[in-house]
Amino acid sequence: MTDGTFITLISIGATFLFMLGVPVFLVISSWVVGCSYVLGLTLDNMGAELLNVFNKGFALLAMPLFILTGDLINKSGIARRLSDFAYACLGWIRGGLAMASLGACGLFAAISGSNSATTATIGSMLHPEMVKGGYDERFSAATAAAGGTVGIIIPPSIIFIVYGFLLNLPISDLFVAGIIPGALMVFGMQFACWIICRANGWGHLIQLKLNRVLKTAFGAWLGFFAIGLVLWGIYTGKFSPTEAAGVTVGFCIIAGLLSWIANKVLNMDMAREWHEKSYAEMLVVEGFTFKDIPGITMRSAQITGVLAPLIAISVVMQQILSLLGAQVVITDFLTSMGGYYPVLFAAMAIVFVSGMVLESLPVTIILAPILAPIAASVGVDPIHFAVIFLVGASIGFITPPYGLNLYVASGVTGVPYFRLLRYTFVYLIALISVWFLVALTPDLALFLLPER
Amino acid sequence: MSYFQDISAIISAVFSQDAWALRNAMKSEATWILGILIALIGGWGIAMIYKRVPWLDRHLERTFMVFSYLAIALIIFWGVVDRFVFSNQQPWSTTIPPLLFMIMAWFGATYNVRLRSHLSFSEFRSRMGRGAQFACLCLDNFLWMAFSVIVIVTTARAAALSASNFQIVLGTDNVMQWWFLATAPFAFLLMAARVIENFLEDRVNYREGNELIKQAVIGGGD
Repeated sequence: MTDGTFITLISIGATFLFMLGVPVFLVISSWVVGCSYVLGLTLDNMGAELLNVFNKGFALLAMPLFILTGDLINKSGIARRLSDFAYACLGWIRGGLAMASLGACGLFAAISGSNSATTATIGSMLHPEMVKGGYDERFSAATAAAGGTVGIIIPPSIIFIVYGFLLNLPISDLFVAGIIPGALMVFGMQFACWIICRANGWGHLIQLKLNRVLKTAFGAWLGFFAIGLVLWGIYTGKFSPTEAAGVTVGFCIIAGLLSWIANKVLNMDMAREWHEKSYAEMLVVEGFTFKDIPGITMRSAQITGVLAPLIAISVVMQQILSLLGAQVVITDFLTSMGGYYPVLFAAMAIVFVSGMVLESLPVTIILAPILAPIAASVGVDPIHFAVIFLVGASIGFITPPYGLNLYVASGVTGVPYFRLLRYTFVYLIALISVWFLVALTPDLALFLLPER
Repeated sequence: MSYFQDISAIISAVFSQDAWALRNAMKSEATWILGILIALIGGWGIAMIYKRVPWLDRHLERTFMVFSYLAIALIIFWGVVDRFVFSNQQPWSTTIPPLLFMIMAWFGATYNVRLRSHLSFSEFRSRMGRGAQFACLCLDNFLWMAFSVIVIVTTARAAALSASNFQIVLGTDNVMQWWFLATAPFAFLLMAARVIENFLEDRVNYREGNELIKQAVIGGGD
């Protein structure tokens, strides 16, 4: 048998392991070990790379820090305030609570950088209220899952960090390029949500009150400050994305600790509704104590302990794919299709199909170094392509059979995985429409980067 | 030389604290045999310690993870404050955190093996019969153990190589890089222990008719 036959058999074996429910990390590792053996590569290369991926990557550090930020704003009560504000603004429209939960996902995503953290936080916070408000529980869970996709497009974003790290692109430029497409994703999903809720008559309407909007906006000031801090730091170049993440973590810890002390000193009752509180009381959030910090950190560390090894092994897989000449094969295939649009759409199709069966991080690590140079060769701006690629990868979070957000939403809401899919489809159409819009209109990604 | 002699050479190099001799000794194929023995015997030993000292079972990896995580955040946060407020920045503030990230990542991977919360597509598995489910769990355990052996051997070699080259962490005067790298084989030894723990737990669950596969969600739940 030739090497090619062996590699094909190993790939089929890896697919079989995946279908058997073997962890994705082990599936990729088995493929890497098998291919290394066939190609005569030493396994020491794999061991060294598993260490080097982290040692050489200061930029990659933003990932765990933005995940921690998400947990800190959740525990401190800042996330709750952001969702209260979103509800005050949108509760008067049919399906307002569901639209507010999508808006809250967007606001949460602007401080955290993780899709699963966004889905888990907003889903666990708003799902019970949506069900109480007369929404179908499947729709409510699907909303949390779909809303989480913007977690990695609206800056900061862990997947933009990985993409920039791999392709040597300025992460701050990638962050800025994600702002408009991320906002469009939120608006697109809100529109789809409105249509569904209107058709089914879901949700109780609340009156739009200026006082409520202003008070909840005032109450969410810490969240807005954190969003402003991240965007200002990155946009002005005052700090790198990793430093911005470190600063946001520091800010959230200080805000959480001070708020807890203020609560105790002023003897505030956090359980009261917004209309029972004065503006001064709205200034302070629930907060947390020093004793809570290890618990919060542990939760983030658990998520990082899943994602970081996956990044490391995917980098090794990417190296082996390069050795196998996968890049040449895909390049030949794509360039044979012709010019700008055929190549772009074919690349998008590859990302979409891969996102259905693989987690988005491996999709990015494996495919981005292959597809980005091809796209650049036909004239697609690298930053524009990064946004197209990553919006596609983010859609992969809600595409069956393997949609990570669907699992997370299922876990936090208790709605079985397969029951979620019916209403996910509506959001999928909205997201794919936005994806094509972003692909066909480079300015949507590049407008805020005039120097490009 | 025979495997036995090669293994003896590795052990004597460890005790002589000679990094160069260790690096050379670890080039032999016998390192794999030693790696398997360390993973199985060491892993079993640690699993037994976990059984007798439940505090370690709950907190060993967690301690490494939380301390390294908070240290990363503190160093980077302080680096920015130092630069803006005191017009100063420690040169190691950008080189130590990636090494701490590496520690956190591998201890985190180990901890997630125990919690069985690594990402997987478990829709088919959860619909299988008990025998097939137990076989799948055994397959997971076997693959984790094989991967642990590979990483224990290859990362120990990388750490020995670093030590023999006297690699210093950039931005420091005397902090050796192998101090950090050597935590990787240790993390995977702990992973081997977790795999053994999981296997023993699966066997008990299978025999007693308990639920074998529980859905674990990363970032959800608590």
